[in-house]
Amino acid sequence: MTRPAGMRRAVMAGAQQAAALGAFLAAWELLVRLLAMPKPLVPAPTVIAAELWQIRGLIAGSAAYTMSTALAGYGLAVAIGVTLAIVLSSAPVLERGLFPFFVASQAVPIIAFSAVVILWLGNGPLSKVAIAFYLSFFPITVSVVKGLSSCDPASVALLRTFGARPAQMLWKLRMPVMLPFLFVALRVATTTALIGAIVGEWFGDNRGIGTLILQSLYAEDTVRLWCGIVACAVMGTLFYGAVVVVERRLLWWPAPALDV
Amino acid sequence: MADKLTLRQVAKTFEVDGGAVPVLQPFDLSVADGEFVTIVGPSGCGKSTLFNIVAGLLPSDGGGRVLIDGQPVVSTLGRVGYMPQRDLLLPWRTVLDNAVLGLEIQGVARAEARRRALDVIGQFGLEGFARYYPFALSGGMKQRVALLRTFLFQSDVMLLDEPFGALDALTRSILQEWLAGVCARHRRTILFITHDVEEAIFLGDRVVVMTARPGRLKLEVKVELERPRAPQLVTSESFVALKKQILDAIRDESLRSFTAQGGEDPRA
Repeated sequence: MTRPAGMRRAVMAGAQQAAALGAFLAAWELLVRLLAMPKPLVPAPTVIAAELWQIRGLIAGSAAYTMSTALAGYGLAVAIGVTLAIVLSSAPVLERGLFPFFVASQAVPIIAFSAVVILWLGNGPLSKVAIAFYLSFFPITVSVVKGLSSCDPASVALLRTFGARPAQMLWKLRMPVMLPFLFVALRVATTTALIGAIVGEWFGDNRGIGTLILQSLYAEDTVRLWCGIVACAVMGTLFYGAVVVVERRLLWWPAPALDV
Repeated sequence: MADKLTLRQVAKTFEVDGGAVPVLQPFDLSVADGEFVTIVGPSGCGKSTLFNIVAGLLPSDGGGRVLIDGQPVVSTLGRVGYMPQRDLLLPWRTVLDNAVLGLEIQGVARAEARRRALDVIGQFGLEGFARYYPFALSGGMKQRVALLRTFLFQSDVMLLDEPFGALDALTRSILQEWLAGVCARHRRTILFITHDVEEAIFLGDRVVVMTARPGRLKLEVKVELERPRAPQLVTSESFVALKKQILDAIRDESLRSFTAQGGEDPRA
């Protein structure tokens, strides 16, 4: 009963969102044409669309490159961030000793760091992966540390009376309780991973959407610049949406509201 | 019958803001194999502390010991089935998988654990609900799942801490009768905390009354009522007499606890 109703609601919501987007694009188009600037800073959507079609091969190739470095950095961040969080929270000594330094390391603006990363790891994809990783693993670690320690003490006591070993406590209680916290961070991290990959390209690369944006800027090619922006928006939305889809599949139980 | 569980000089004092607050005074109790012992007492009398010690969650002060089958044990963790007041069902597990949690932790293979659960799930009034998630269940059903979980866990003793405390009176009385039936069928050694005197008498082979904080044993009464016990029993003469005896003892203690907290003695 609930499923078809839910589906209908989702379709309705989708239709409303599509209509809103269409109205927004139409208004934008109209405004640009009415103002009729000789060299518009904001080209009309139809102009951008035409250019996008023209250079679709370049855009697709650049997006694939940027997306792959972002995804690699993201994957590393998830693996290392979750592992680090488990290690930190399994040893209170470590958490108290290392966590402050860990937080302090994030106070260094990534921009200051990126140049050095390029020097260390070169102009290739590796440096972009590293920057994307650095930007996204922090929110993941912090969230997971918090999630792992937010079990109901009564549930912990219950599992202890069953004779649960630390590993059983982790897998049967702390990990599932942590999952909603992880997903909050995983959503945030999609954005930071993409930012890392794009910013990394600005410091040195000859491929990717970041490079395309920078070159268009130097060439004062606003239409192509906007093609880059649209590509970034599409990548970000798809990435975020994919995480939400996975989240809905993995978190089927009503989770408590999070204040992360 | 041999003693299944023996408490010897079990005691607890908590440190609060530098001061010592005695919660449980040296306490002795033996529970025979297959016996159903209910514990009643005014709120704050240290019942839950007692349970935490028996369950192995808290160490007893000083020379207090918990013995199982007459043998002192290093820890009762993993040997005592503990059911706290709240159901504590895991929301990501189905009824069936919640029920087998204890067995799973004991290392019983999942298929075998599920088979054992399905064998008795009907007796717990959960037939057909095995694949439901807890959020879809009523309070009484959740409590029965928690009981099933405690019941399936292979333990020497079951500790039930006001399992029906949060339920409405009607559900409560139905579940009491049901629990008495389940216990008659599977002889288990049970310690049961409640603040409901009728419940204590209706379910128990023996009722233990505790004093106000710090908790001590105030009164111990054997309940010589025949089983199975029907709900109408609560109006019988022998039941009422027992109830009066226990209520008097508790009323004393509750008043003592009330005035000790600054309340005025209503009799004064």
